[in-house]
Amino acid sequence: MKEKALLKGNIAIATAALNCGCNCYFGYPITPQTEIGEFLSVEMQNRNLGFVCAESEIAAINMALGAASTGAKVMTSSSSCAVALMQESLSYAASDELPIVLINVMRAGPGQGYIYSSQGDYNQATIGGGNGDYKTIVLSPSSVQECYDMTQKAFYLAQKYRNPVILLVEGLLGQMAEPVILNENPYPEIDNSSWKLDGAKNRPSRKIHSLEPNQIKLCNHIQDLFKKYKTIEQNETDWEEYCCDDADILITAFGAYARNTKAVCDYFRKKGIKVGLFRPKTLYPFPSKRLATISKNVHFIIDIEMNCGQMEKDVALATLGSVPIWNITKPVGDILSPETLIKKIEDIIEQEEKKYANNI
Amino acid sequence: MQTIFSTPKSIKENSTFTFCPGCDHGVAIKLVAQVIDELNLQEETIAVASSGCSVFLYDSLDVDCIESPHGRACAVATGIKRAHKAQGNNKFVFTYQGDGDFASIGLGESLHSALRGENITAICINNTNYGMTGGQLGPTTAMGQITTTSQSGRNKEYHGFPIKTAEHIALCEGSSFSARVALYDIKNIINAKKQIKKAFEYQQKGLGFSFVEILSSCPTNWKLSPKDSHKKIQEELSKIYPLGIFKDVENE
Repeated sequence: MKEKALLKGNIAIATAALNCGCNCYFGYPITPQTEIGEFLSVEMQNRNLGFVCAESEIAAINMALGAASTGAKVMTSSSSCAVALMQESLSYAASDELPIVLINVMRAGPGQGYIYSSQGDYNQATIGGGNGDYKTIVLSPSSVQECYDMTQKAFYLAQKYRNPVILLVEGLLGQMAEPVILNENPYPEIDNSSWKLDGAKNRPSRKIHSLEPNQIKLCNHIQDLFKKYKTIEQNETDWEEYCCDDADILITAFGAYARNTKAVCDYFRKKGIKVGLFRPKTLYPFPSKRLATISKNVHFIIDIEMNCGQMEKDVALATLGSVPIWNITKPVGDILSPETLIKKIEDIIEQEEKKYANNI
Repeated sequence: MQTIFSTPKSIKENSTFTFCPGCDHGVAIKLVAQVIDELNLQEETIAVASSGCSVFLYDSLDVDCIESPHGRACAVATGIKRAHKAQGNNKFVFTYQGDGDFASIGLGESLHSALRGENITAICINNTNYGMTGGQLGPTTAMGQITTTSQSGRNKEYHGFPIKTAEHIALCEGSSFSARVALYDIKNIINAKKQIKKAFEYQQKGLGFSFVEILSSCPTNWKLSPKDSHKKIQEELSKIYPLGIFKDVENE
């Protein structure tokens, strides 16, 4: 029987990292993710693995950059305002094609904000705060179990595509304990012998760089990156559908905050109103094609987020104005309860009915 | 016939330096390559180049190399060293940085690597200005020195004081070796190579962070001939930045 444990999201992430072979961790404390570093400080030293209490998040992500160049499985973790500090090196890692797993356990912003749970870094993660044309893969768990499973997946995708992967977790989930099945790492090892830096023995020396003074080479390099991103979009886009097949009203939501919306779907279904939930599990690549298909048969979409509506533009891009999009957003504070959501959705339904009546 | 001099094995074949005429980077890189050859390190070295003129190290040095974001070379090197250790390997890791990279934007990473006693070596080319961007005031620009952003000379009211990097590194408990050398004549070049070699050997011995600051010429931005640039180092800069060994754990 598979081992089961009661774990906080942060510890589930750290445990999963160890279980799938993470051999280097560099970090700097910030609430609400500090337990990841605390837990790994013990576990990695016990195993003689790479661990540094870095002097800053900038140092941490650059240690990760260096470690990744050796073919190590590297992770760093931080939160929102401090992930902002790491953006330069994410851009480097994307251009250098180095596999780094970055855990962002989000707190509220902008600026220092506070340690309240939030989804305020959707844009930071999916669009990227670094310079130039690049993409990072972004995974969005909605349960502690998914924190565990998606951490393993993050390492796999980072190695497979030689690209930074961000696990975007709400502080709520990082701090929440749930039973977790400690699944074996289901992913194969990726051969990195063709590119890693381990000394030029019996082979020509290698250089890993983003600087490219030759404009044709630089142009080709960026275009090659985007070919890779296309492959990632084709292969790795992932989402969850809940009661979507016959939905008249479609809720779009991600991460931990998508969970209450399932109870909302159930409530309306019992009343004969067909509400479904569409939850992207990969925020980049965003499941645009599937959302476009589903939305063909819905009357309208309600986008629910714990920010001021950052994912909404991706929903709008996917549906290209074919259906009205409402939103229920709150940037920070207590989570929206099913009761609150139900009331807000009933208001929206009423307004849509009025609009429909006026059009007749 | 006996070979008295040849290009070091660790310099890439047909490599052409793209540095300005009279710049000391070429000499510094040659010395690093010679030391790598003499210590037989070519096959186990990972070099970390930085931002600025020093990045072009990887165009000439024939070892595995990664470029670091500006200032972060010591952090990148830390990651490489630790990651190889975690995988059961002992690789030779050094950074090659300018003074702006090492002692201004990257001072935090540099000092903390030294404080941790990170078992890496850092080479810092100190040419007292930001060379690649056209000669602006940097952390090591001397008092009174004219740059494009201190056009009437560095003064304490606007710019404050420069940093004596090698002395600072020597103060860190984790550093094993810290020296300042120059390249303005043969005697100094020979000495510079000796100190670089010592710094590399200290890493091999696992003694901790080893550091060599190299006073280097920047004729283009100093607006001096190569000869006068070296004269400036000999007569002015080496008075402000004294040459010597500031820390040597094997000779304490």
